[in-house]
This record gives sequence, C-alpha cells and structure tokens, in this order.
Amino acid sequence: METLKSPQYLACPDCDALFTAPELREGERIVCPRCGADLFSRRPNFVNRAAAFAFAAALFFILANLFPFITLKADYRESDMLLAGSVSGLEQQGFLVLAGIVGVFVMTVPSLLIGAMLYVLVPLLRDRRLRWARHLCRAMSEARRWSMVQVFLLAVLVSFLKLGKLATLTLGASFWAFVGLIICLAGALAAFDQRELWEKLEAASHDV
Amino acid sequence: MTFDPASAAARGLAHCHSCGRVEPVEKLHCPRCQAPLHLRKPASLQRTVALTMSAALLYLPANLLPILQIESAFNGSQRNTILSGVVQFWQEGDYPVALIIFIASVMIPIVKFVAIGALCVGAYSGRWPRAMTRLYRLTDYIGRWSMVDVFVVAILVGVVQLGSIMTISPGGGALAFAGVVVLMMIAAHSFDPRLIWDAAARATPVSDIERVTTGLGETADPSYQT
Repeated sequence: METLKSPQYLACPDCDALFTAPELREGERIVCPRCGADLFSRRPNFVNRAAAFAFAAALFFILANLFPFITLKADYRESDMLLAGSVSGLEQQGFLVLAGIVGVFVMTVPSLLIGAMLYVLVPLLRDRRLRWARHLCRAMSEARRWSMVQVFLLAVLVSFLKLGKLATLTLGASFWAFVGLIICLAGALAAFDQRELWEKLEAASHDV
Repeated sequence: MTFDPASAAARGLAHCHSCGRVEPVEKLHCPRCQAPLHLRKPASLQRTVALTMSAALLYLPANLLPILQIESAFNGSQRNTILSGVVQFWQEGDYPVALIIFIASVMIPIVKFVAIGALCVGAYSGRWPRAMTRLYRLTDYIGRWSMVDVFVVAILVGVVQLGSIMTISPGGGALAFAGVVVLMMIAAHSFDPRLIWDAAARATPVSDIERVTTGLGETADPSYQT
C-alpha cells in the first residue's frame, strides 16, 4: 500500500488549533479535541469510490434532464414538465432573475460540481492530473455549498401535494433519476476528504 | 488583533481554506492550490453584519409581498404570501406541507438571524466557544433549505403553464425571499468561527490557557514563534 506524504501541520478549520499531523492508517480519522471539527481522515480507496459515485451521478443527472419530471392530466389532456420547465416557465413569464436563481442552484452548480469531480478524479485513477485540475478542485469546494438538488426534491414533493388536489399528477422517471442523483452526489462528496484529495493531487504526475 | 495562543495564527501560520494546507502567511498564496492565505477571513464581522442587515431589510418585502398569484377559472384570483400560504395549508389539513414550509421559510430564517447575532456577540465575548462553534456549523448548514419555497413557486409555474385551467405567476415576494436566502448564506459563510476562540483566549486567565493548550501548540516551527 502506498503511503501519502502527510502535511507537517494540521490546523482546525473552525478553531485554528495547531497540531502536528499524525500518521493515519486507512479508515482512521482525527477530530479536533477542542471544538469537534473533522480534521483529517484517510478513507479507503477514496478515488475509486468518489469517481464511481460521480460517474453515476452524472448519468442520473443526464436522465433527470431527458425524461418528464411531473406529468399533469387535466381536461383529458396530458402534458409533461421537464426539469428545465421549472426554469423556462419563469423565464417565459418574464421573471428572468428568479429563473436564473433557480437554474443556477439546481442545474448549473450541480452539473459543474459533477463535471469538476469527474475531471479531477478520473485521471487521478491513473495518478494523473489534468491541466486545470487544481482550479477545478478549488471550485469544487465552493460549489458544494451552493448545490441545492436536495432542496429542489423537497420542493417537488411539496408542489406535488399542493397541486394534487387540483389536477391529476404523476411523478415521472426524472423524479426517480433525481433521487438517484442526490444519493450519488452525497456519496461522492462523502467518499473523500478535501485535504486527502489535495495530497493525492499534489503527488500525481504533472499536468498533461 | 490578538490571536488565541494555541492557534496556528499566533505562530504566523495560515490554514488554507481551500485545500487545508498550513503555511506561513507571508507566502500570501497557498503553494499547493494558489488560494489567497489569510490568518482570519478578511473583514469577517463587518461583512457578516452588513449582509445580515441587508437580508433583514429584504425580509420585510419577502413576507409582505405575495410570493404566488393564482388565477383560476373557478376560484377567481388568489394571492399568497409566505405566511398566508402556511395558514392555508394548515386549514386545508395539509399538516406535513404546512410544517415543512413553516420550518423552511419562517423558522430557519429567523433562527439564522438570531444565530448570526449570537455568533457576532460570541466573537466579542468569547463565551461558550464550543457551543458557538456548533451553532456556526448548524447555521452554515440549514440556510439553503429556505430555498424550498422559491423552488415550489418555480415548479408550480412550470407545471401549471402546461394546463389551461389556471395561471400561476410568481409575486415580488419570491424574488425578495430568494435574495434573503442568498444573502444569509453568504453572511454565514463570511463569519469566521476562529474569532470566537480568539476572544475566548483573551477572556481566559493565562493559567487556563496552559491547560487548554496541553497537547496542542507545542509543535510549530520555532521560527514562527513570537
């Protein structure tokens, strides 16, 4: 088993307590004794796991965009709403800023997050690092806080209950793809420790 | 600014917020990921307070203006604010939905306003640092869930456009509320919880600091000791 070079020091992100970095075995993690924040963890086989989850999340995201999210039946007519319909509906009514906000948090940020993960993680499977990997890795840590797919899913359920009385609604294939997306995205993000990923990235062979 | 003596900052070491590396702050940029290095987030309290105050101002139109307008052939037109929406769900017997919307759109923003206020006070007084740090993590996490109501509006508009039985359009409150959520998320992110520990160290007698730092601290490169 290869050993990764540990950074000399660790500082707690939440209380700034300083430590010498202990040698951790795979599966071990250390927690700040002062404030309880996660300091560092070595997760087994993390590149493989994170890449697999990110790949699955990408597939689910594509599926979620292709199939109807909600199907509405009223007056003997049937019509489908796609994921993009939540943005385009607002846009067609002239609420551009609102459409932008929804589009960015539900579609742009998650797709960038998944794309960045694949771009960083897949070459890392072969211990390589692509040209913009470090920039995207930084963007990734920002993007995860602004991804609101799980909030959107709750909103779908609420709207479903709200409209269910006025018309006949059915949840389409995209809804289930979206559930898969949320699980896989959470799995991918939980599979790696940001610091460990950076160490691995630093150790990877140079920009291709 | 005085730093907590057990902290990396007291030895001139900055924790890179992006990749977690600890480097001397004189380097200005992290050698690994090129993110700018700071001992503490710059102008943290000023930014947090300014953003929270803007959000508080926007919170008024967000609650007073309707977030949703429904024009229906059968029921006439109907305008809902966030609160009247919750009341309506409750009266119609949709208790789970009423509860979700109430928690996400009413309780979380208010809890966040109070929590950020408490954190700013904590950054001065330094009391209960451990609990305050937990409060910070909670505040940072719950914010995005307030977006539920805005997304509900977007979905309803998208779905109902398809049918012709009624039209649904967003009201001014929806945009204002989205603004509140985004501003509060940036406000929580601008807050630096390490300020609480700095204040706690200032408020603690020196003998107690020795006790706290046992097992920490004694490790830094001597050249960065002051």
